Amino acid sequence: MLAKPGYTLRVIWACMKKDIKSALTERVFTIISVFVPVNILILLSLFAISGGQAPTAVVMNETGPYARQFYDSMSHAHSFILQTATASDAASLMQRGKIVAIVTIPADFDARIQQNQPVQVRVDVNNLNTDFTNDIRRAIPLSITTFYAKAFPELVTITPNEIDQYPQDTGYIPYLTVSILVVGLVLAGILQAGTASAREWENETIKELLLSPASRWAMIVGKMLASFVMSIAAVIVVLFVLIFIIGVQPVYWGEVIGFTCLCLLIFIAWGTFLGTVLKQRPAVIALSFGSSIPLFFLSGAFGPISFTTPAIQFIARIFPIYYAIVLQQHAFHGFDLNTYGMIINALIIAAYAVALIILAAVVLRRNTLAH
Amino acid sequence: MLFTFFRSIWVILRKDIRVWLRQPVTLAATFVPSIAFLLVGALGAAAVGHSPVALVTLDTNPKGMQMAQIFHSADVFQITDATPQQARNLYNKIDVVAIITIPADFTRRVDAHESAPIDVTVNNLNLDFTNDIRRSVPDAITQFYRAQGAKSPIKIIMDEHDLRQRDVQLFEYSVLPTIILLLSISGLINGGLSTAREWESRTVKELLLSPVSRAAIIAGKVLACFLITFCLGTLVLLLGYALGWTRPEGIYWLSALLAVALLSLFSSGLGVAVGAALQRFQIVIAVSINIAIYLFFLAGGIGVLAFEPQWLQTIATFDPLTYGRHAMEMAIFYSSSDLFGLDMTILALSALVAVGMGVLSMRRGIAV
Repeated sequence: MLAKPGYTLRVIWACMKKDIKSALTERVFTIISVFVPVNILILLSLFAISGGQAPTAVVMNETGPYARQFYDSMSHAHSFILQTATASDAASLMQRGKIVAIVTIPADFDARIQQNQPVQVRVDVNNLNTDFTNDIRRAIPLSITTFYAKAFPELVTITPNEIDQYPQDTGYIPYLTVSILVVGLVLAGILQAGTASAREWENETIKELLLSPASRWAMIVGKMLASFVMSIAAVIVVLFVLIFIIGVQPVYWGEVIGFTCLCLLIFIAWGTFLGTVLKQRPAVIALSFGSSIPLFFLSGAFGPISFTTPAIQFIARIFPIYYAIVLQQHAFHGFDLNTYGMIINALIIAAYAVALIILAAVVLRRNTLAH
Repeated sequence: MLFTFFRSIWVILRKDIRVWLRQPVTLAATFVPSIAFLLVGALGAAAVGHSPVALVTLDTNPKGMQMAQIFHSADVFQITDATPQQARNLYNKIDVVAIITIPADFTRRVDAHESAPIDVTVNNLNLDFTNDIRRSVPDAITQFYRAQGAKSPIKIIMDEHDLRQRDVQLFEYSVLPTIILLLSISGLINGGLSTAREWESRTVKELLLSPVSRAAIIAGKVLACFLITFCLGTLVLLLGYALGWTRPEGIYWLSALLAVALLSLFSSGLGVAVGAALQRFQIVIAVSINIAIYLFFLAGGIGVLAFEPQWLQTIATFDPLTYGRHAMEMAIFYSSSDLFGLDMTILALSALVAVGMGVLSMRRGIAV
């Protein structure tokens, strides 16, 4: 009886050591898998780099004080990346796809405003898709009301009085990159654990493992620990880039470390399960990308899922990626994205991890290898 | 001689397609990402631009009710009418992004030309949602004034001119990036795997010892992969057509299919090049997916390239997928042949270079 725990620990240790050594012999793949999460971080961040602001040329046919004030209102509309241009330059920029809108302030703008006469501001829009086009369509009225509120506060008396929940806005990049960290963890975990499990089947070394008197639980735990060690390198790289290069400083350092380890554990369990079921490394790698990135988009990467549709909310709640995003957003920004509280969210993640480990062990127990 | 050459191509093409069809996992790996992205696009588009807000109307007089009605008909928000307490509960439960409150003395203040602020309490946890609210509330205020006609103090009128005849919905727009991703992943992975498989299973020995020209071997492999990729791309395009998302008209069917074909050829050639150069399954698949994803995102990904910074647009000019995407967008959404010649030329050249790289890699592999 006393010898058994010691034996189990030895099996775990041996499996872990063997998997780490195997991974290190495949240097190219190991290096690629270390840099995959950071690649994903960089590529997905490209979405947010413009902040959804429309590159726009303003043709200032009038340079009077009201016209300049209107331009100023546009620049504070959170919607445009502005540049002034002549009409022909603006048309050329639009033609070359460098800008998506041209706003033309007419020559009699100031005079008409002073005389309280209607004045038309021409807006040419490259209406590529409704999402971006509607942003522009709404940003112009915002500029107009802002302009009037400043220039003629006695005329336009209705104004929005904004009360923000947080003292400062969080930009697209700082918010989204934290969500992207989670997809990095998913890929790091699945790639390492999934390929390590599938390797045993491809090389048929699983035969020896299954025929040995070692407990399958111990083997699974050993393999998962090895994947954990190997994934840590990828996690360190992606966290380094996020915190020190992109500059997203965590509010709760302890939570970052704790939640990262917890999340990694669950995705390693998921990878072990996938590798055991699929038994082929190419399939594991392809499916890890094919499933994790779409799921990431559906799991509240861009904001609380309660702001989306019921269908998305339903799907998001099924998968652990959602809870991982909630935990990491709290760790980095102190945001509460649902009302469960951090402990419940962490417990849900832990429950997923336990369930997946059990599932992987059961699948391994039921598996055999054909001769 | 020529007959033997084409027969060899045909045999290798058939063999590669049969092997592909026997690999359900590879089939799944090719289909799953694209179908998943289509699903994500369709689901996600429904949620875009309609932020849930709670509307508290404390003023039951005409101006207050008119303002509330404008918020309701704005087609910007998902509005829940609520009392202040209900609104606060919804806000605390993160069910709404903002509370818009029309104050009790709104009508009186508007009539008296006094400042009449509309309170907007906003959960500004990220700029995406916050800016939507910041744009939408003034939009509603502008509509309120516009309803006053000639009496409106706002005299600036937006005179919108759209470059394109029709607006393209976001979910329609997101189909094309999905097809581009499918084409690049399918070409790279299938081309890479079918080539690396010859080394892994050591069948490359038989191929080399056979009295078949090496050019025929390479052409057969590229064509097999091209055929698979092209059929998949066309299938998704037709699926989009059936759902009413992608509707090229008349001659633009041809230009869309030509773009799909050239993109397929480019990614297949690149896949064969990667497979022949790396010769190992695992590395080939990891590198291929990385290349496909890099090419995809650097060509704009699921966003709009015109909105990205200049340096990113400059990088995109070196990415062949950018031209494929542009050609397909023009053909499918805007019924336009704008820059069609340039797009096709660059795609054709890129495909040729990719196939050439495949030939070179395979020759080098063979030499080793």
